[in-house]
Amino acid sequence: MKYTKTLIVSSVSALAVGAAAHLQADDTLRIGVIGPTTGVFSFFGEQQRMGVELAQEELADQLEALNIEVEFYDSQGDAETTVDRLRAMESRDDIDLVVGPVLGGTGLAGLEWAKGSGMPTVISYSAPEDITMRDRAENVVRAGWTGAQPMFAFGEYVAKELGYKRIVMVGQDYSFPYNQAGGFMKTFCRAGGESVERIWHPTGTSDYSSILATLPDGDAVLYNGAGSDGLAFFQQYHDFGIDARMPLLGGSNFFAVGNLPEMGDQAIGGLSALQYAEGLESDSFLSFRDAFWAMHGDEVMPLAPAEHGYVAFKMAVSAFDSANGGDRDEVIAALRETEMPDAPRGPFHLDEYGNPVQNIYINEVQEVDGRLVNVPIRTYENVSQFGPFEAEEYLAGEPDSRDFPPSDCSDPYYD
Amino acid sequence: MKREHLLILAIVAALVAWPLLMGNYAVAQANRAMIYALAALSFSLLAGRLGWFSLCQTTFAGISGYTVAILGVRYGLPFPLVVLLALLLTTFSAVIFGLLTVRSRKVSFLMLTLALGQMVWALSFQWVDVTGGYNGIAGVRMPVYGGVDLNDTRIFYVMVTTVTVAIFLAMWRLYRSPFGLLLLGIQENEQRMRALGHPVALARFSAFVLAGAIAGVAGVFLVYDMGIMSPSPLGLGHAVWVLTAAVLGGYRSLLGPAIGVAILITLETLVAQYTDRHMMVIGLVLLLSILLMPRGLAEVLEQRFKRKSKPQASVTTTTRGE
Repeated sequence: MKYTKTLIVSSVSALAVGAAAHLQADDTLRIGVIGPTTGVFSFFGEQQRMGVELAQEELADQLEALNIEVEFYDSQGDAETTVDRLRAMESRDDIDLVVGPVLGGTGLAGLEWAKGSGMPTVISYSAPEDITMRDRAENVVRAGWTGAQPMFAFGEYVAKELGYKRIVMVGQDYSFPYNQAGGFMKTFCRAGGESVERIWHPTGTSDYSSILATLPDGDAVLYNGAGSDGLAFFQQYHDFGIDARMPLLGGSNFFAVGNLPEMGDQAIGGLSALQYAEGLESDSFLSFRDAFWAMHGDEVMPLAPAEHGYVAFKMAVSAFDSANGGDRDEVIAALRETEMPDAPRGPFHLDEYGNPVQNIYINEVQEVDGRLVNVPIRTYENVSQFGPFEAEEYLAGEPDSRDFPPSDCSDPYYD
Repeated sequence: MKREHLLILAIVAALVAWPLLMGNYAVAQANRAMIYALAALSFSLLAGRLGWFSLCQTTFAGISGYTVAILGVRYGLPFPLVVLLALLLTTFSAVIFGLLTVRSRKVSFLMLTLALGQMVWALSFQWVDVTGGYNGIAGVRMPVYGGVDLNDTRIFYVMVTTVTVAIFLAMWRLYRSPFGLLLLGIQENEQRMRALGHPVALARFSAFVLAGAIAGVAGVFLVYDMGIMSPSPLGLGHAVWVLTAAVLGGYRSLLGPAIGVAILITLETLVAQYTDRHMMVIGLVLLLSILLMPRGLAEVLEQRFKRKSKPQASVTTTTRGE
């Protein structure tokens, strides 16, 4: 019966460990920050973490006064892991508010969990529009953007200011690029565009020769994607010499996220649109950037995920502050009232659905002090997640997909 | 045999005590562990009995999960019907996959299941109209029956535990049934089994379909546990995770996969609390345990446990077929 004894001893000790780990309940307020700090998307998660750390440092006195602690969690960029970490936050670590997730799929998984749990949540960089549209929840707001939001401005800019009529769009075949395409086409076609021909390729494609060799003619090519796919496309596009025939425009993440040094000087002049630009010259941006560099070193440029993490954390702290403690309903109400007149990206407030109404910048890649940066050349103010459209009308319409909205701008849809 | 009954009793007692003593998170982790234990059992049924290493068992779980999500959320069918149809469809896809793979061996089997698994994964990613693509399908919830919310962590635990224990008990019987012995026999000497007049191909095929159905059960629980179905559980990472758990615990024994899953989940949860480099730590633990216990933890425990008892014929201690 030696075995039985071992079994009893081990199960008792396991239970004791479990019980000890489970004791945690006091009046400390805890903010849990979740993002992919390992895995292929760790760039985004690290940026968010650095932004939050900066906000923590700036708000140190306030955090102490309100008795707020911060914990970081790694989502690994995986929906299931995200849900698991969120559960740990709620029932193991006694977290009172969540900042994150960062990526599209993890954001939707987080939303689904938050609906069930009622946890006040400030989504940071994660951009699926339904988080603050068709699937919105009272306790979930967003500090960032929807995929279509910056593209509403870009579509109009490309049609009106650049005068392009026919766009060839090559993009990664998943929902975020569909949403970017949708935003672009809905304004482009109504501002004088003629057609947008979409070519989708699977994510992880490294050879674009078959696409480039048969590229239809147009006034410009828009690469609707990012990451290593975007970089490969960019290089092959220039290797094929197509840049001499058609200029290359970018989706929101194309020139913005980390690839500029590898793209090199050929990227200069590249246009894209985002609610953020690391070439902003406003005082609030410069002080944010300088503090960020002082903290993390000036070889790391603070990009949109960092600013969104920074801002999301500030939203959370000010919600705790005005709710005067941890009462959930009051914190949620305060979050939904958020106004940020001096965010680094520019002023914004949340619409009634919980998404920022903010500046969209048309950015041009320029060389500034020996670095390639996105410099805003045109600002569209107060752009909401519905762009120029009425919320009810937009929500009643079909969600963007692989082949919606229609390619041909003369389609009755655009009337 | 007495010892085994004692072990079963102890496991059941621990499973009953767990939700009474532990917090919500520990219960939620136990739910995940049991779901993956089923997936790892499905893997081990093929790997341990037949020497067939499959990389598509999580795919069956995924097919089942997507069926639940699509029929339940998009078409709003009632919960019991959704589950029934999900299991039927998964079994049906296991039949198709089984027909394609039944004649292959070792590496070619591994490659075939890899290809099939990746095809379904790609399909789930790109067939946006049906699967929702990368975003997946959200809002997969169990119903509330007469004021009892089946989504509640502890009620969910009761359901998962009941089904998991039942399936493990059934497999315990099956492993020592003539069918289970036939599978082992096929792994050890296929030609002899054929010469003895056993329907080798049919036995293989049945085992494959059975393993698929078990993974289907795991998939049903997985999707209700997550509340959202996205392509990520069908990815290669999850298939390899299940394989790792099964190898760590010992895929030749019945409880090995469950032990492996429990260890991996505990490790991930504990180590991830302290460092972002948790994969390094877990990798190191895996490396050491596979070097020191190439046949898995369960068999090391079993050897110790059996040393003092008189030798007995056991289907789980075969040393051949390596």
